[in-house]
Amino acid sequence: MSDKTVLIVGGGLDGVRTALEQAEAGAQVTIVEKFPTLGAERIPSDRLIRPEQAFMNPDLDKVRGHNNIRILTYSDIKKINRDNGNIRAHILKHSLRVDNSKCNDCKACIQVCPVNMFDDFDEGLGFRTAVDFCNITTGEYNIYKEDMPVCQETCPVNLDIRSYVGLIADGKHLESLAKIRERLPLPGSIGRICPHPCETACNRQYLDEPISICFLKRFVADVELDQGIEPVYETPEQKYPEKIAIIGAGPAGLTCAHDLARLGYEHIKIFEALPVPGGYLWVGIPEYRLPKKLLQREVDLICNMGVEIQYNTRIGKDVAFEDLKNDYDALFIGAGCHTGLKLRVPGEDDYEGIVDCVTFLREQALGNLPKAKGKLIVIGGGNAAIDSARVGWRMGFDEVYILYRRTKKEMPANSWEIDAAEHEGVILQYLAAPVEILGENGKVTGMKCIKMELGEPDASGRRRPVPIEGSEYIINAETIVPAISQGADLSFLSQGHNFELSRWNTFEIDEETGATNVPGVFAGGDVVTGPDIAIRAIAAGKHAAVGIHEYLRSK
Amino acid sequence: MIYEKETRYIIPFGDVPSPRAEMPEISVDERRENFTEAETGFPEDMAIHEAKRCLGCRRCLGCALCWAECKPEAIDFDIPDQELELEFDEVIITKGQNNAFYSFNPQLGYGKYADVITDLQFERMLSPTGPFNGMVVSPLDGEIPGRIAVVQGNIDNDEAHLLSSLILGVNQSVIALDKTKDLEMVLISPLCQSFQEKFFAEAEKIPGLQIIAGSPESVEKERDAKEPLLLKYSANGEDKQKAFDLIVILTKPKISPELESLSKKLKQDII
Repeated sequence: MSDKTVLIVGGGLDGVRTALEQAEAGAQVTIVEKFPTLGAERIPSDRLIRPEQAFMNPDLDKVRGHNNIRILTYSDIKKINRDNGNIRAHILKHSLRVDNSKCNDCKACIQVCPVNMFDDFDEGLGFRTAVDFCNITTGEYNIYKEDMPVCQETCPVNLDIRSYVGLIADGKHLESLAKIRERLPLPGSIGRICPHPCETACNRQYLDEPISICFLKRFVADVELDQGIEPVYETPEQKYPEKIAIIGAGPAGLTCAHDLARLGYEHIKIFEALPVPGGYLWVGIPEYRLPKKLLQREVDLICNMGVEIQYNTRIGKDVAFEDLKNDYDALFIGAGCHTGLKLRVPGEDDYEGIVDCVTFLREQALGNLPKAKGKLIVIGGGNAAIDSARVGWRMGFDEVYILYRRTKKEMPANSWEIDAAEHEGVILQYLAAPVEILGENGKVTGMKCIKMELGEPDASGRRRPVPIEGSEYIINAETIVPAISQGADLSFLSQGHNFELSRWNTFEIDEETGATNVPGVFAGGDVVTGPDIAIRAIAAGKHAAVGIHEYLRSK
Repeated sequence: MIYEKETRYIIPFGDVPSPRAEMPEISVDERRENFTEAETGFPEDMAIHEAKRCLGCRRCLGCALCWAECKPEAIDFDIPDQELELEFDEVIITKGQNNAFYSFNPQLGYGKYADVITDLQFERMLSPTGPFNGMVVSPLDGEIPGRIAVVQGNIDNDEAHLLSSLILGVNQSVIALDKTKDLEMVLISPLCQSFQEKFFAEAEKIPGLQIIAGSPESVEKERDAKEPLLLKYSANGEDKQKAFDLIVILTKPKISPELESLSKKLKQDII
């Protein structure tokens, strides 16, 4: 008898049959199957059958009773690798939550279970309860429980979506809003602009379409507005004396301030370089997607908790970073990514009329842009490019172009934003890239472009665009807005600082607490991740608030 | 049985499938040269209707009703997960119970009509341990169908898939015919050479089964849900149509990306 040990991945027909063969030959066999039960009756698809031969059934009783076979059902392989010829596996066997040695098969649990879900074992043909035994002849009882529904798990701030959507279904809109505010201080704003990863994960999509979770959040926020209710964000009786400074009144900074105020901190001051709050929500997201009035109201609710915002104060210029560090007990950096990256083509720095998307959107939002004249070209395929184009179209440019070097399929912008831009009349030119900015008398007159084709996939998995030789053409335009990407501006840090930075010039932090390597200094949002979505910045603000609280209380 | 407890369901299933609410917007003309909010928000009735579409993700909510009911005290929410570190000499990767399939012609009405099902669902339906104890019924209304079409979902040049799905289609038909009185079964698919050479002659002789070499195009329902399904297909270069009570789509199996990467990582084929 050999002592060979064999791991069989998958407890279907083939897995069970192979396990039995291997075990009969003397090997020590372990079967790992994701499902709570071994499966495996199948109709053959390699030979014609007569009705009485309908299903092939592996000998499950023999497998179950076999001394050489260990069965790990309801198990996932978490890690596996080949190590010196051996297979090393880390396996997680999920709890059944039922002690099957005590179970007497009375099915009372199934009769009372209020959960009614599609029966995954029967390919969704019938229904089952959350307690299940999978199959009369094979199953063990088990309870299918997750820590959170998939939407909540996907949401960066883990909003209790199932509860707040359920409350709307019951007509309890204000209760629903209160539920959202337990974890999110900006529901009206996020309910308008969030790219909603929760909807991408929503289980309803497998039946028809996902739930419109994001807009339901907006709905309850609007109900409160329409009813003229002025809510109060509560703070606790017990207060803490420590002073906390926050750099940037964007989603990360505002949320961090809100969560700290709710923990009982009363000396929180946000330093904001701009004359307005909200960071990218104010100066990046255009008015037609998020009205400023509404954003201002949500910021005011946070300020009413005792949070102070000092506007027009740029750290590193108006206040030295070192002073902040010395004057405050803890510091959160949520400075965002407000530097538009350059195209790196000839002519870029030579003419008036070329302005990066961050500046373009910001100056438009602050009302500092001259009147639109002539044509506008936006270069890039992200949401900032789409926003710039749709803003330009509203400003009154005669024609608005978006130039993108790949095709619509590869565009990183949300598909519904691209559709809206096209719908409004923005002209999208795919597979085209800038070659040179053209100008006369110091002003932009147009751009030389080149057509591209898609070659081999690059590191990002997208096919790399390659220029087609000799396909250059010219678009006349008076304004050109590169929307390539954005970077963080860390020039506010003092010379010779000792922060650990990534190669993208962003802060390295501890994900759980938001702590940087410098004690008492925390960071989060785009200044850590690079340009990303607001809800992830909010999540970072929340993590940092907890991190700061723990840091201050353990001091 | 559980079906007596309908009032205790979190949400009734009557609305599947139903499209999600679309955000109302102002017209494009109204947007030019101003910054008025483009999306106007859900009215209340729309929001409530949309919220009711939520499945509440029918997983255990931890309500502990079952725990209270369990006389032998077998239910214990605190039984922990087990983590195991194991070592083996060999690994064999099998497909397991992974039943994913490639997407197929959306015109065939799967997901739109409850009486259009996949071959995997049909297999469960035919099984004595399946949801209907092996009876062939329409999932739409529980009626016993008189006419069933088994149609090819993936029409490509994959000969091996075509052959195995044709054999599976014939075998499923044989079982359904055996279980159901006065049933008319029609199998519509392009036929591959190996099927014609080795299996066609025998399959053709099965009473009640008609095999048509053709391509299914679309499935429609004429008026209300009680009408039969109208299958349009082409055969011998002609467009045809025929009514059925249940349509079964032959799917092409797909290995999950998870298994693919496992196989790649361990340099081991999937059997």
